[in-house]
Amino acid sequence: MPDEIDGELLRRFVQGDQDAFEVLFRQFEAEVRRWVLRIVRDPSAADDVLVEAFWRAYRGRARYDSSRSFGAWMRRIATNAARDHLKAARRHARSSTADERIAAPEGPDRGLRAHVARAFRTLSPKLQVVATLALIEERPYAEIADALELPVGTVKSRVFRATRALRTELARLGIRP
Amino acid sequence: MIDDDRLRQLLRSALPPPTDEGPSGDLWPRVVGRIETRSAWSWLDMSLAAMVALVLLMFPEGLFLLAYHL
Repeated sequence: MPDEIDGELLRRFVQGDQDAFEVLFRQFEAEVRRWVLRIVRDPSAADDVLVEAFWRAYRGRARYDSSRSFGAWMRRIATNAARDHLKAARRHARSSTADERIAAPEGPDRGLRAHVARAFRTLSPKLQVVATLALIEERPYAEIADALELPVGTVKSRVFRATRALRTELARLGIRP
Repeated sequence: MIDDDRLRQLLRSALPPPTDEGPSGDLWPRVVGRIETRSAWSWLDMSLAAMVALVLLMFPEGLFLLAYHL
């Protein structure tokens, strides 16, 4: 993330100056949105999560340590907001009576992909986040650990649990490719 | 048993990167709207403030206690 920020700008942000906050928003919006999109995988949801993340950043500005990277701090907030979005989406899917089948991409293995997508959605949001970032997006463990404020060992353990849960769910669905 | 590489391949094919044409518009006004909405006083805030004011009118000596805790 672009992180060469004027200290004065950050100081004004911490004091609640909305003009300073807008400068930071404009500077980090694209990077934060790209990160969020990797997790939620839906452009419209990414917009909502982005707004939520920047609102949380403004609300929690007093806790920002200006000696540390604003980009990394923003990414942590955005990751939490994205995880909360996945939780809400999961609750909605459970309570909804509508057809919740997941549309799989077109292609010869469409049925298989639909099963895999469905199995993935059975993971808890915290496992979905690490599985998406580690297995699909292939982000380094250290980067994921930083975004989630977790030790690398915990990230590895979550990836292992997600992989095991996916294998179990796919086997339950009769998929043994 | 699905091996790790096959599982990753399946996941990438089942959950491909979404087609993204950027944000739906300028999102800054939405952030500002959110900040302003949340900073407004809710009914609960106003009720609590009214209760504190009432208690202070009835027991003015409580002001010192309140000031100490603030």
